[in-house]
Amino acid sequence: MSAPGRLRIAGGTVYDPANGVDGEVRDVCIEGERIVADVPADAPRLDARGMVVMPGGVDIHSHLAGTSVNHARRLLPEEHAAHPAPAPPFAGARSGTGGTLPSTFVTGYRYAALGYTTVMEAAVAPLGARHAHAELDDTPIVDAGCYMLLGNDEYLFRQIAAGETARARDYAAWLLEVTRGYAIKIVNPGGVAAWKSGGAPAAQRNVTGLDDPVGSSAVTPRRILETLADAANALGLPHPVHIHCNNLGRPGNAATTLATMRALAGRRAHFTHLQFHSYGEGAGWKSGAREVIEYVNAHPEVSVDVGQVMFGPATTVTADGPVEYLLHATSGRKWVNVDIELESGCGIVPYTYRERAAVAALQWAVGLELFLLARDPWRVVLSTDHPNGGTFFSYPELIRLLMDRAYRDAQLRRVNQKLLAGSALLDGLDREYTLGEIAIVTRAGPARLLGLPHKGHLGPGAEADVTVYAPDPDRARMFATPRYVIKAGELVVEDGQLRRAPAGRRLAVRPAYDAAVTRDLRRFFAAYATLAFENYGAAPAPPAPPGR
Amino acid sequence: MSAFPRRTVEHATCLGCGCACDDIAVVVEGDRVAEAQNACALGLAWFGDGRVPGEVRVDGGPAPLERALARAAEILRAAARPLVYLAGDLSCEVQRDGVAIADRLHAAIDSLAATAAASVLAAQRRGRAAATLGEIRQRADCLVFWAVDPAARYPRYRSRYAVDPVGLQTPDGRRSRTVVAVDVGPARGPADADRRVTLAPADEVDALGVMRAAVQGRQGSDDPRFQPAVELAHELARARYAVIVADAEPLDAAPADPDRAEALVALAQALNGPTRCALSTLRGGGNRSGADAVLTWQTGFPYAVDFAPGYPRYRPHAGAAALLAAGEVDAALVLGAPASLPAAVAQGLGAVTAVAIGPRASAAPCRPAVAIDTGIAGVHDGGTAFRMDDVPLPLRPALPGPREAAATVRALRERLEA
Repeated sequence: MSAPGRLRIAGGTVYDPANGVDGEVRDVCIEGERIVADVPADAPRLDARGMVVMPGGVDIHSHLAGTSVNHARRLLPEEHAAHPAPAPPFAGARSGTGGTLPSTFVTGYRYAALGYTTVMEAAVAPLGARHAHAELDDTPIVDAGCYMLLGNDEYLFRQIAAGETARARDYAAWLLEVTRGYAIKIVNPGGVAAWKSGGAPAAQRNVTGLDDPVGSSAVTPRRILETLADAANALGLPHPVHIHCNNLGRPGNAATTLATMRALAGRRAHFTHLQFHSYGEGAGWKSGAREVIEYVNAHPEVSVDVGQVMFGPATTVTADGPVEYLLHATSGRKWVNVDIELESGCGIVPYTYRERAAVAALQWAVGLELFLLARDPWRVVLSTDHPNGGTFFSYPELIRLLMDRAYRDAQLRRVNQKLLAGSALLDGLDREYTLGEIAIVTRAGPARLLGLPHKGHLGPGAEADVTVYAPDPDRARMFATPRYVIKAGELVVEDGQLRRAPAGRRLAVRPAYDAAVTRDLRRFFAAYATLAFENYGAAPAPPAPPGR
Repeated sequence: MSAFPRRTVEHATCLGCGCACDDIAVVVEGDRVAEAQNACALGLAWFGDGRVPGEVRVDGGPAPLERALARAAEILRAAARPLVYLAGDLSCEVQRDGVAIADRLHAAIDSLAATAAASVLAAQRRGRAAATLGEIRQRADCLVFWAVDPAARYPRYRSRYAVDPVGLQTPDGRRSRTVVAVDVGPARGPADADRRVTLAPADEVDALGVMRAAVQGRQGSDDPRFQPAVELAHELARARYAVIVADAEPLDAAPADPDRAEALVALAQALNGPTRCALSTLRGGGNRSGADAVLTWQTGFPYAVDFAPGYPRYRPHAGAAALLAAGEVDAALVLGAPASLPAAVAQGLGAVTAVAIGPRASAAPCRPAVAIDTGIAGVHDGGTAFRMDDVPLPLRPALPGPREAAATVRALRERLEA
């Protein structure tokens, strides 16, 4: 037997904010799949002198696998045709296609080639969990977890209406277990159910605020949010409720966002793609970033990811069905809607953010304002809500916007100014993110917010996920092409080239719950579901009987 | 009385059609299926008695498995223009390996999902207004069966999903719903519909366009031929949640009309202005929806993919049948049940050197050079399959099979990658 693989990443400039290391020259040592304090002097060395060493990137919010992502892939053959991706040159490598929603293998390769080693799929309908896991099995290298969609599900509504909060909590725990989920995701609480319940013209098929009744007057967005936030915290989930607020993408929605944050005051909660929820009050479109981020700054129980808009092609894909209907109606682009029985929805519209378009320019500016006005980078994560605000391939460009004020100001001058009055960006925000802060918002922070103690840092015991960059004053170029990427101790990118693609691991929780809930769930399934209770979820498919 | 002990596998999923009913209780006696409780006539035929051959043949004669796999690899490696075809009764797990083999070989790959090409292409041009089957059950108060009676090819669609069952907003089941049959020539809706609208086949696409205009409040048509359709459009717009049911599988091997498929999507989408509407496209069995999903996630395209350039290229109008008819293909790997092959593909395969791995491969009419019998996904083999609405389900095999398709195809893949 050979000794576990050892490696000394020698002499790099290390950014490991979780351990208080901010640009110190030191060695990072690996044994097997873990970081260790030291390895013998004769262990293999990777000469990182002059290079920047960080933990592997952690994407807290991405749409990369599962039923809705695959509906979106199927909708976009023209994108895939325009972006062929031949297999990289190593044994067993797979070809595929790119575009805003790459095929699964290409997704894994591209995340790894950007130095990301952990990715969370942010919206899985529990009914499709088995599908999401199958796709993740075909998404190599990255470790991945799935957020399960709750908050528009009929069974939950019934528990809320009946005041059965303990049973709601047990239900959430059961659901996460059987679907192999990682966290609870709430999308437009109550609004998707309103959209599906039909009748009424489009404008009325949604909720507009926290106290709109959803079917029963006892069920409101506020009660849904409180119930699930309390459940996540009571169950001790590593990541709190992950919230896509009501009124996404609407002018004036900052009021709803702030009301949601206040409704959950004192409870841990993560607010996702905050940019899409930070438009100021009053007539028409304007920035509301300042008031939203000031609330975040003052409330340590709140964390966010930004959902930055990047100019260029995107695909909007969300469980928020009514939003996509409006986008289809206003953009005239092709549109997929799939209502998902008893629990959720799915809407998809391809979209392009143009510098010359006033609203897109405002969205771009709002995202940057959130980043630049945030006081605690540990609670403000870099994301584009891939592929909604832009793809994850645009992260290096986003990092440049954050780190390079001159570049950012030059970009600002190019965009449509019509709606930017009142944006803090126009006041000349001079902040430039440091490499240490980038290391926080792209790895250390999200790992901590996800409750992954072995990720996002380089201390002994951490998983050996490491990215090594060659410094470059053009930060986009630097972050687009890491020189080395190590995943679980294995060198996957060498000299900027992808060399191998080991399978990633799945991140899932198994919170304890009172199994009595399953008796009630069986009755509910018998009354309304179209599949057997036993066949729901994503447990490994049962094996064939013993062979002959 | 049987001498064999009986045992029952509950919650088994049937792949006899795209309904993928998962409430089948498969009663096993000895080495055969004695009963498939809850199954419809199609389902009973699909389960059969569960007995399948377990032969391995090379050039028509029996051979050991290792030799057959070696010969299969040799044929496929030597091919200048190989084709991989994903036929019916395969799990998604095997389909995934099938796509990997095509990628490795730079082969063309197609599947049984191509039978619904017209509907898939329409969805790629316009999108979809869709719902999982259970949402139709919960919500639909007005159902239009557009030139289809599911009783023949999707026998339990009505009783399990769309018409009869009680749902959240349909507390009285069938009585909570209005059922309208649209008869287009000989393609008729259900006999017991509450109302019928009759269209001549030549008027069908125009009628859908007129209906869409009416829904959008645009100038309709005064042509009396279309008045019943216009009235139906208004009725749908007044519904709380309208559902249009259409068959995505062509009738009698005639290709489905692409304009009709697109007009149906456009109407269903337009109905989401005044109310909610979903188009339910019926698809056949054998886990063809799984082949569509797997090919889409691994390549970005749902069927008719060509890896010849070293990456996946979409050739929706040059799928397996066209390549075979043009004489382009010199060797083929057929995975799944050869009996499920569309006629044009089955016929074309007769002219090429074929390797068949799947249920009853040894009985394939194309007389493959290598035939390896496996179990049937869902009867002998486990794994995952997709319902016609893309809902994934586990398979619960009731019987041991001759050999698992998954292990056999994986062994071939490993030989080809070695």
